[in-house]
Amino acid sequence: MFAAALWLLASAHVGSPDVVFDGAAGPYPVRVIVRPPDVVPGLADVIVRAVEPGVEHVTIRPVFWRVGVAGAPAGDEMSRVAGQQDVYTGRLWLMAFGSYSVYVTVSGAKGTGTAIVPVAALATGRLPLSRGLTIILIVLGSLLVAGLITIVYAASGESLVAPGEPFDARRRRRARLVTTISAPILALLLFGGSKWWNAEDNAYRRNMYGAPAAEPTVAVDATHRTLSVTVRDTANFRTLTAPLIPDHGKMVHLFLIATNGSNNFAHLHPVEHDSGAALIFTGEVPALPAGRYRLFGDLTLENGLSLTVTNTVDLPAPPSVVARTDSDDAWTMTSAVPIAAAGAVSQLGDGYTLVWNDSIPLTSRDAVELAFTVRDSAGKVATLEPYLGMVAHAAVVRSDGSVFIHLHPMGTVTSVAQQVFRARDLGDTTAHGRLGPSALAASNAASASMPAMSMSGAISFPYEFPKPGRYRIWVQVRPATRVLTGTFDVDVH
Amino acid sequence: MSNSGRWHAYTAVVAAVCVMVGVYWDISWHMSIGRDTFWTPAHLLIQAGGLIAGGASGYVALHTTFRGTPAERASSVNFWGFRAPLGAWISIWGCGAMLTSAPFDNWWHNAYGLDVKIVSPPHVVLAIGIFSIALGALLLVLAKQNRATDRDRKQLAWLLALIGGLILMNLAVFLTEYSERPWLHSALFYEITALVFPFALTTLARAIKLRWAATACAAFFTGMMLALMWIIQLFPATPKLGPIYQPVTHMIALSFPLLIIVPAIGIDIVLQRFDGRVDSPLLAIAVGVVFVALFLAAEWPFATFLVTSPIARGAFFNAANFVYYESPSHTAAAHHFVRAAPGALPLSVSLLIAAGIASATSLVGLLRGEWMRKVRR
Repeated sequence: MFAAALWLLASAHVGSPDVVFDGAAGPYPVRVIVRPPDVVPGLADVIVRAVEPGVEHVTIRPVFWRVGVAGAPAGDEMSRVAGQQDVYTGRLWLMAFGSYSVYVTVSGAKGTGTAIVPVAALATGRLPLSRGLTIILIVLGSLLVAGLITIVYAASGESLVAPGEPFDARRRRRARLVTTISAPILALLLFGGSKWWNAEDNAYRRNMYGAPAAEPTVAVDATHRTLSVTVRDTANFRTLTAPLIPDHGKMVHLFLIATNGSNNFAHLHPVEHDSGAALIFTGEVPALPAGRYRLFGDLTLENGLSLTVTNTVDLPAPPSVVARTDSDDAWTMTSAVPIAAAGAVSQLGDGYTLVWNDSIPLTSRDAVELAFTVRDSAGKVATLEPYLGMVAHAAVVRSDGSVFIHLHPMGTVTSVAQQVFRARDLGDTTAHGRLGPSALAASNAASASMPAMSMSGAISFPYEFPKPGRYRIWVQVRPATRVLTGTFDVDVH
Repeated sequence: MSNSGRWHAYTAVVAAVCVMVGVYWDISWHMSIGRDTFWTPAHLLIQAGGLIAGGASGYVALHTTFRGTPAERASSVNFWGFRAPLGAWISIWGCGAMLTSAPFDNWWHNAYGLDVKIVSPPHVVLAIGIFSIALGALLLVLAKQNRATDRDRKQLAWLLALIGGLILMNLAVFLTEYSERPWLHSALFYEITALVFPFALTTLARAIKLRWAATACAAFFTGMMLALMWIIQLFPATPKLGPIYQPVTHMIALSFPLLIIVPAIGIDIVLQRFDGRVDSPLLAIAVGVVFVALFLAAEWPFATFLVTSPIARGAFFNAANFVYYESPSHTAAAHHFVRAAPGALPLSVSLLIAAGIASATSLVGLLRGEWMRKVRR
């Protein structure tokens, strides 16, 4: 009841706090959904789907980045959902602010394997008192106050009268006097209590997560249109306490999305400059038309925390010659955006098409599979080249900009955050919990034994839409040499 | 003492013991295991204590109101048309406060996160409720003591000293966050203890008809705290929450009890010599100064031992009772005293302020003890 009344104010990603992971726990394919709590310490809901036959036990552990598995409590056995052969649920306490991973360990006929699912534990919501609870507290509180006043009257009057003696007028007067004096003292104490409550509430608000600010500036000359984004903590809660770590080889994944409803979209990788206090990213803007754009920047820190910063930026008209940008930058300006429906087709360019496979309608707060097929000009399923280490990327944005998420076929998590946790478990950390210089290399070697990625043009992204509304989805793939972008609009109920 | 009155008094005392043992167990649970539901045995013991106290007093109220003998009705007070001894009403009120704190605390956890703090508004409501359970038991027995003949009186007075020990325990546990070992040489610690203990000790010393009343209460307090501290450590436990920074293998107990017993002896001596011979304000000043001086003389060197000596870090003195989530830097700091902030008042001045606070709260305690001496119902 209380959770439903909660206002969602923020999450580490924009409006999309739930974590969805599709991957493997050793020999077992798993889908893991983690709904982190809005307050810390708080309970995260974990749902695991393990379809492989022979699964006997699924356990979950909350692992905090600083201490790794060595400082994690023993795993909790998840319970199988009644009537569901392969769905398990459980809850975990996330006690400290910052970067956690849920370790999902599956054991059964094929042995034991663990999947690492990074989760951010941050205070993101504030719970108002519900009407019912307010009434209950007022009634009980009033009874207590009235009872206390009666007790004071009895304590200063009748209780002092020896049995058999009368509770006379003089004693009554005295009791009334004491009660009258103590009433304002009681009122003062209640007032102090409410002041204290407010102070605690303010302290809580100060500790709430606020995404670091992203301040864009654009400089234009005859041959360049250069975008600089300065990222710094502005909330009282410090987020950028660890260095950045490259995700898919990039320090930031920056998305520009036109606010005017057109399909102008770019996925860019500006370069980070060593800048002391703030993080500054600079890069060339490709041939997008002038106008107002929403800007979303995905960052991952060395403690495994992934976050998104956001703002709007007004792009001036491009110069006549557009400078080269990062070779992995990709953008689109196609005008027609198809509405999602089974079999709907989005043009990727170069003769390729992107086909929507999923059934419609989609419902929010429900695990969905956003499934697509990339076809070549002959209609055959294309074979894809890796783009930034992944078979495909997707960006999902709600029409009002209140939700943004960068998806991969493995879900909402970034693989580098998983590597961070793996590296810590190998002991590749410094005394202060920072990653040692060779940590990620060792962790990469450890993960090299994971199953090879499929490069088929049949791709899918697991996701949970956080709320109903119209969303636009950009899917980026590399069927040949160029990165191509397809787009769909979808209504989520 | 009538038989019916006797069972009620003993039930109230048992309830108060249940609640305080439950509170101790609960805090130890949070320090060692961490994971919390409404149904932990510690919570159940606290709630059971509250319900026993409230239920027994509720029964007494209904019985006295509708079926009470003239003698029972004559030793009761009126409350919204019902009749029961004052202590019963305080117990019922305490039970009500504990029940009120439950939904409030539950909301608090949902709104601000599961608390790792003892001192939060819903916990204060709970602590006031718990305190009222003990106070109710105290007043129930007190009214009987004040009416009793010599033979009964002695027995009742010892029962009161036990309840006094529970009340001191309640106060000491509530002040845990202000009395951690590294703070035992700080001005704030002596000021806060001066605010609380002289008040309680003088109240109890005046109200309980024993020559060494404050000492007896403090002895019960010390005995119960030590017994719980030594026994609870015998039980194995592992943290069920993370991050875990400390290797916890058994229940972690609260720290060695404060040496309240030393100033309690001093307070008894002062009251034996001067109570009734000088005015209360003057007596309060003497008590306040004696409290701070003796408490300082005892706690300061003992704190030095607890903080610095490796001998103190075993189970007996329990000076390495680290909560599972305490970071290694905290552990390292735990073996040093917190230094006074730059610009803080000199310690001597702070101790004078503490003596002033102790004198003021002693005066309130003496006056309240005076009232307690007169309670007959």
